[in-house]
Amino acid sequence: MSNSSKITGATILLENVTKSYGSKKPAVNQLTLEIPAGQTVMFVGPSGCGKTTTLKMINRLIEPTSGRIVINGEDVTKMNGDDLRRRIGYVIQAGGLLPHLTVGANVGLVPKMLKWDKERIRQRTDELLDLVSLDPEIYRDRYPKQLSGGQQQRVGVARALAADPPVLLMDEPFGAVDPITRQRLQEELIHVQAELHKTIVFVTHDFDEAVKLGDWIVIFNEGGKIEQYGTPEQILAHPANEFVEDFIGSGAGLKQLGLARVRDVRMRQLPTVDLGEDAAAAANRLTEAHAIRGVVLDQHDRPVGWISRRHLEKMSTVVLPDEKGVPTVGESSTLDDALDTMLVAGSSEAAVTGARGRYRGVITVNTVIRAIEGLSHEAVEEVSVPVGHNTGAIPVATTAENGVITYEMAEDDQQKEDEWLTSANREWSETDRQKWENYSSLDPAEDVVGEDPNLKGSGSERA
Amino acid sequence: MGSYLSDRWEQILSASWQHFSLVAQCLILATVIAIAIAAFCYQNKTLSGIANSVSAVGLTIPSFALIGLMIAPLGFGVAPAVTVVTFYCLLPILRNALVGLSGVDRSLVEAARGIGMSRVATFFRVELPLAWPVILAGMRVSAQMTMGVAAVSAYVLGPGLGSFIFSGLSRLGGANSFESVVTGVVAVVVIALILDGLLVLLGRLTTSRGIRV
Amino acid sequence: MSATTSEKTADLTAGSSWKALVIQPIALAVILGLMVWWLFAADLTETERITLDPGYLWGLTLQHLKLTAVSALFVLITAIPLGILLTRRPFRGVSGLFMALANIGQAAPIVGLIVLFAFWMGFGTPAAMVTLVAYAFLPVLKNTMVGLDAVDARLIEAARGMGMSALTVLWKVELPLAVPVMLAGIRTALVLLVGSATLATFIDGGGLGLLITTGVNLALDRVLIFGSLLVAVFALIIDWIARVVEYLATPKGL
Repeated sequence: MSNSSKITGATILLENVTKSYGSKKPAVNQLTLEIPAGQTVMFVGPSGCGKTTTLKMINRLIEPTSGRIVINGEDVTKMNGDDLRRRIGYVIQAGGLLPHLTVGANVGLVPKMLKWDKERIRQRTDELLDLVSLDPEIYRDRYPKQLSGGQQQRVGVARALAADPPVLLMDEPFGAVDPITRQRLQEELIHVQAELHKTIVFVTHDFDEAVKLGDWIVIFNEGGKIEQYGTPEQILAHPANEFVEDFIGSGAGLKQLGLARVRDVRMRQLPTVDLGEDAAAAANRLTEAHAIRGVVLDQHDRPVGWISRRHLEKMSTVVLPDEKGVPTVGESSTLDDALDTMLVAGSSEAAVTGARGRYRGVITVNTVIRAIEGLSHEAVEEVSVPVGHNTGAIPVATTAENGVITYEMAEDDQQKEDEWLTSANREWSETDRQKWENYSSLDPAEDVVGEDPNLKGSGSERA
Repeated sequence: MGSYLSDRWEQILSASWQHFSLVAQCLILATVIAIAIAAFCYQNKTLSGIANSVSAVGLTIPSFALIGLMIAPLGFGVAPAVTVVTFYCLLPILRNALVGLSGVDRSLVEAARGIGMSRVATFFRVELPLAWPVILAGMRVSAQMTMGVAAVSAYVLGPGLGSFIFSGLSRLGGANSFESVVTGVVAVVVIALILDGLLVLLGRLTTSRGIRV
Repeated sequence: MSATTSEKTADLTAGSSWKALVIQPIALAVILGLMVWWLFAADLTETERITLDPGYLWGLTLQHLKLTAVSALFVLITAIPLGILLTRRPFRGVSGLFMALANIGQAAPIVGLIVLFAFWMGFGTPAAMVTLVAYAFLPVLKNTMVGLDAVDARLIEAARGMGMSALTVLWKVELPLAVPVMLAGIRTALVLLVGSATLATFIDGGGLGLLITTGVNLALDRVLIFGSLLVAVFALIIDWIARVVEYLATPKGL
């Protein structure tokens, strides 16, 4: 747990998996899918597309009709389902907490089944409640009905993590909570994952959620057909086909705001003025910086208001000219959140704060808009996409000595993937390069995205 | 069995009719009383609570004990039978009437008052129709339950099919005693099903299509 | 008919607040006290004294209790397992048929059934008990099934997802969550049993009903009233015990 770089997750491989009910069209048809260890893979798609079925086949709550499932090199298709499920975390909507058991008992369920001793279970329970930001002293002995929806969901996540399973399956876990709570739970999951590096398979119907949380996104169509498998950046920048385009909907650029963090764009630096300092000196600093306005900071360097040169000329020591305050966003907030904050405050700019609320700079609506324009043309890093298709071709899995599985793709699949990548690049190179050059030649002193925003790195830096 | 039935066909029909009419009439009487009590109680938590408790306690008292208690003041015959059957009919209906009336959306009542309906008109034209399906459900429970109570009331010489059961019992082993009891039991089941069917039909006819489930 | 019985069940199962649980036994104790006082103070005739002899009354009460308790036990050990079985997947198909038959059976008058069983098994306690078991079977069976069916399917899946076996899920999740509904059915059954046990007297099955028939047959109004009251108080005591059990056995988180 303390070693934050250690990947504790396991690779999951679905091999040519089919689930059919009777004579009807199969719910999932000949699906082959690789889920890389320690990554968060989001399953999205319209309802009835087989994403949930696929998820439940991983822990065999639904038994596949044919095909096999391999976790960490071990074929789990034939092993005892109950034993398998004890090794896989499972989170459902509203947590699925057992109402007749206390929060502590709920979290300790799996360890108890694994026959841990009482003291160890108690320690583990407290540790996990702490991890999901619930004070064990307060919540351990409460019953689920005494908790809010968001808290119940947190306990659900804690319960799934109890036996430290390498894999976490999440079935629309945040579907039943209000948007604000959902945003907080999502951020918490990002933090937990940054610490634990589990393999997370997460089903959602909300594409924005997929963009926000996923290292990878699988877009499913009816019958468990994979329409596209890629990073959020790849999918947003280069939707594979019309279906994906429709599913993403309009405003792909806007959705990319959910990918970019405030710290990734260039902030403007306004002169700062401390409360209570000599007003004339402060006014001088503004003049030197050719700035009309400055940011007022309190004794802890937290931004508390704006102040203009004209205001400063009228006072001897710096006081706050008004009580309006200043909209602030944290530097690890998404651009989406930043834009939201500014719109809500009715302001075209917001102060950016770092650790302990210290002032870092100023972000403006313009910065965000430039970022949107830039983002849609952002070069997508050529990362090798894990296997995912419905052709029925099975990659030959070979387990190396270190337990890592490598796959040799069937030849035509390799070709398809190459085609896809090159076509994407070709498309990019025609009209977009021009715009990219225009954009990158803009004066960096203005409110623009920095020279090397390198946004695709953000996926792995979410800490 | 066949000759037993054909010999006493008229007797059976008349006893069945008596049984049916005893329960049906008591049911109507009980419904009126229950709605009146519920109308008096439903807006007051304490009164509703008391009515509910009385109803629960009443349902716990064995019917045979109540019949016994009624003999002293009322003697034998129709009077104790009607009293006891009405009493047991009353309890489920009362409880359901309270649930139904208090379940009516208060904003609807206010809307009715707002368009100038009097308190009484509001009760009969808004609250009662909305609570009616629940009350009717209570009536069905009452009807089924009191079919058996009515049979026991034959012990105090009340009317109906219970007499076939008790006469068979008193002549146990004698000619046709078994047939007599079976006839009584089966006929009660049959008219219970008929009355339940009629109540369902009544529900279809009297429940506004807007609130039918 | 199926709706009827479930509502009947619902009718008898209004939850009990702790206040009601305290008031009920106090009121019953007062009534019982008055009855005992009357028994010793009243100027009874010779026949009345014989029928209302405390030792004799105690014997009848024990008989009544035995009738109720033994048949309740039989109902529990048959109806609950059957209810569990009928809610398991392979048997769901036949459960509808079962319920329909049971519901029609429930419409039969108990006084008639008890006599029919006496024809078959002869007079006496065994026939009475068999009738009582048959009669109280339905509420327990029905509430077991309703209670188990009402358990949120997603909870069961969550439990399965954690790696609980089907049996563990039944034991740790389904049954605890179904307990309140099942207990309500058991209480309904107990109330039915206590009441129906008074009819056992018609087939020489014993119990407190004997006081009522004796009162009627010998035209002893005081015995009749005393007996009826005693039966009523006894029924309410059983009901109270069932309520207390219900109150205590319901899992706290529900």
